[in-house]
Amino acid sequence: MSREFLAYLAILFGLGAIGAPIALAMFVAAAAYLAISGRDLGLAAEQIIQGLFNSFIILAVPLFIFAANLMNAGTISDRLMNFCVAIVGRYRGGLAYVNIVTSLIFSGMSGSAIADAAGVGKITTEMMIKDGRYGRGFSAALTAATAVIGPIIPPSIPMVMYALVSDASIGYLFLGGIGPGLLITLVLSVYTFVLARTQLFPVEPPVALAELPRVVFEAFPALLMPVVLLAGIYGGAVTPTEAAAIAAAYALVLATLFYRALSRRSLYAVFSESARSSAAIGLVIGGALIMNYIVASEKIPSLFAGFFAAAEFSPIGFLLAVNVLVLFLGCFLDASTIILVIVPIFVPTCKALGIDLVHFGVVIVVNAMIGLVTPPYGMLLFVIDKTTGITVAETTRAILPFVIILVLALLAMTLFPDIVLWTPRQFGYRG
Amino acid sequence: MRHAGAWLLARADNVAVILFVAMFVSFLLQVFTRYILQDPYGWTTEASLIAWLWIVFWGSGFLLTNRDHVRFDMLYAWVRPGSRRVFALISVVATTLAFATSLPASIDFVSFMRVERSGTLSIRLDYVFSVYLVFAIAIIARYAVYAIRIVRGASPETVFDDAGGADPPR
Repeated sequence: MSREFLAYLAILFGLGAIGAPIALAMFVAAAAYLAISGRDLGLAAEQIIQGLFNSFIILAVPLFIFAANLMNAGTISDRLMNFCVAIVGRYRGGLAYVNIVTSLIFSGMSGSAIADAAGVGKITTEMMIKDGRYGRGFSAALTAATAVIGPIIPPSIPMVMYALVSDASIGYLFLGGIGPGLLITLVLSVYTFVLARTQLFPVEPPVALAELPRVVFEAFPALLMPVVLLAGIYGGAVTPTEAAAIAAAYALVLATLFYRALSRRSLYAVFSESARSSAAIGLVIGGALIMNYIVASEKIPSLFAGFFAAAEFSPIGFLLAVNVLVLFLGCFLDASTIILVIVPIFVPTCKALGIDLVHFGVVIVVNAMIGLVTPPYGMLLFVIDKTTGITVAETTRAILPFVIILVLALLAMTLFPDIVLWTPRQFGYRG
Repeated sequence: MRHAGAWLLARADNVAVILFVAMFVSFLLQVFTRYILQDPYGWTTEASLIAWLWIVFWGSGFLLTNRDHVRFDMLYAWVRPGSRRVFALISVVATTLAFATSLPASIDFVSFMRVERSGTLSIRLDYVFSVYLVFAIAIIARYAVYAIRIVRGASPETVFDDAGGADPPR
């Protein structure tokens, strides 16, 4: 490791630690690196501009952000939840199942855990805590845990980012998320089932049979979206980026023409909000592209690969070690920072150890998503605090069982790659 | 002054929305021409990528406050207000200096790109990439102002919340 690279790391982590925006800290550190090593300072600009301009796949990120914002603003989320109440609300602990099932369906149309928690998650949480039916901490913790499913079942913004830095196939990554997503849904449901019996969760009055057709009819166009999306991608008809555009267009048609739920003013707000979020994420991606350039020119990945090979790490040992590291970092860092900044360093080692890059990618994305619910820095806890008023402290007290469950599911998919790779193989993946 | 700031911010927001709509619509055109008409336009992909590049730099330069960025603020929130001022000052000064010192080289890179044109629309790339310079200059100006205000005694919280006036219409 060169002197200038050590300076780069010190500045990046130093500025990051004292609260500077990560994207800007990456730029400052890169400028210092280029200056010390006597290279052209314009290289930072060149890397970030060319990187953002030349990657077609990146466009999926703003389009999925836009689609999710539209679904939340255009009452699509509400209709979805009414449908789930009618279907699973009648069982003991019904609203808790509603929380899980709505997230599962929503995850098939949105690629972001934050959008899930802020949209359907907010509505289900509010229903759960109304009249003190469920504990506030439990409701918020369940919402956070189910929101994790959002970017694991395709589509998925973090998987697009991983594909960007690892060159793994985005289509197969998406497919690889299906098994783990269903696994997490299952374990959360089993946990809820046990709690519902032991803690006597409330039962909701069943939705009358006569009401059912109306509820289904109202939700049907929304329910069609995951079907259209997944069929489009896996039928091989459209690329994931195109699917993102189709999802956004479909959500736009539903919200404005079909449900008539969006005024011109709120549509403008959706565009404006989407542009801001896209700019913030885009700048972090840009910063990560400069970093990848520097890390590659310092030959850091092969240094790492050499180290792990010399230490005779088995593939499983390596996967477990990386998982522990990412879980730890997830308590303090944002998921996009982990995927864009930390993960690329390990990708060459995976190749050297013969670890499948789709398996690795899905496991890491699941892991980074668990990082969104782990205190003290868990983005989902902050979002739930902001949207429902349940404080981070309240949620933190109830989150531990969920974190344990999620980590066990993560361990299962780490040790048994088939959980991830079975679905892609059905579609011709050789790995 | 404040009024003018809010007005400018609202216009910057308009531009970002127009760019976003442009990106979305040209991408949809691409899907439409490819799957429905079976005769894809070549320029649509490039148009969406240009719009995307502009959204990122325009939005980051003018719309995102320090708070909107992805940040790790645990340590920052934990320390006493006096240390927060020091932290904030270090990060805004470092940001200003880094962007300012690399600006000439960045200008060189962008203007050098005048020799190239984009693949299908054939727009000179120095025009396409110029938004980066707009972004860099906006960051230098804004973070220099942040630094001056913090030195003069304003609290970092009020300084960072300020995107040049008031919140844009939401």
